[in-house]
Amino acid sequence: MEEDEFFGEKTFQHHCSEFIKHSQQIGDGWEWRSSKEVLEVPLDDAEATETAAASEVIKYEYHVLYSSSYQVPVLYFRASFLDGRPLALKDIWEGVHECYQTRLQQGPWDTITQQEHPILGQPFFVLHPCKTNEFMAPVLKNSQKINRNINYITSWLSIVGPVVGLNLPLSYAIATSQDESNAL
Amino acid sequence: MAEEPESVLQLPSTAAAGGEGLTDVSPETATPEPPSSAAVSPGTEEPSGDTKKKIDILLKAVGDTPIMKTKKWAVERTRTIQGLIDFIKKFLKLVASEQLFIYVNQSFAPSPDQEVGTLYECFGSDGKLVLHYCKSQAWG
Repeated sequence: MEEDEFFGEKTFQHHCSEFIKHSQQIGDGWEWRSSKEVLEVPLDDAEATETAAASEVIKYEYHVLYSSSYQVPVLYFRASFLDGRPLALKDIWEGVHECYQTRLQQGPWDTITQQEHPILGQPFFVLHPCKTNEFMAPVLKNSQKINRNINYITSWLSIVGPVVGLNLPLSYAIATSQDESNAL
Repeated sequence: MAEEPESVLQLPSTAAAGGEGLTDVSPETATPEPPSSAAVSPGTEEPSGDTKKKIDILLKAVGDTPIMKTKKWAVERTRTIQGLIDFIKKFLKLVASEQLFIYVNQSFAPSPDQEVGTLYECFGSDGKLVLHYCKSQAWG
């Protein structure tokens, strides 16, 4: 396994830390929370995104956790109406952006499942991490080739987020390139 | 090592997806490596507020993704990333199970509803927007 493909927990924490720095600058609400008892550390979106669906407003909450078994970050999320009623898995699938619907319909259970949050102990939806290495590898290899550091969390979240309604502001992309130029 | 960007980028909220007609996207030239010519004119002054203006996009393949014979395209500002993805997938004849990602700065995937005009404002240089595209069997 090449060094660039190894995404250990320390690397995860480092990239999250850089990601949070920018989040604080633009005030979009990501927070870092660590649990002393558990190895996996969540990154919570305290400021939930609100999306209109039919005539209802839906509140989304996103968490980024580290998966020791897959050695990649994992996106946990949940959604509820403003009165607190949670969305069902079927509603979530229907809410997936249309450009991903074809892929989702081919294998819904491979992509979004429902699992217990390892720290909060509550049911969350999870974007399955088994294919993360596959789509991150070309990005990482390319960054090596052009000798430029990227923020794994930013790149990864920019790819998976839109699938489930999370769109990162473009300033994250600019922040990364400024990090690079200052890292000399 | 703390870095401070000089300004926080304030962006207008993403507009609704632009027109999806394939005819909007047209190749400037048939040759793979177009020399600087009148067909591609960087930095021309055009009246602001003209939302029909097209921007120049240079598409570059990443990884094992097939390279497009035509790399330089003039695209309407309101074309969304999703629209561009659909176009490239058709152009490359990708199958339904293959996903295509588009990146700016070779590292960041703009959301599908993002308009290329906005990306050009933020990431364009030398009169064009360079976008890298990568196909993948997987996501999530």
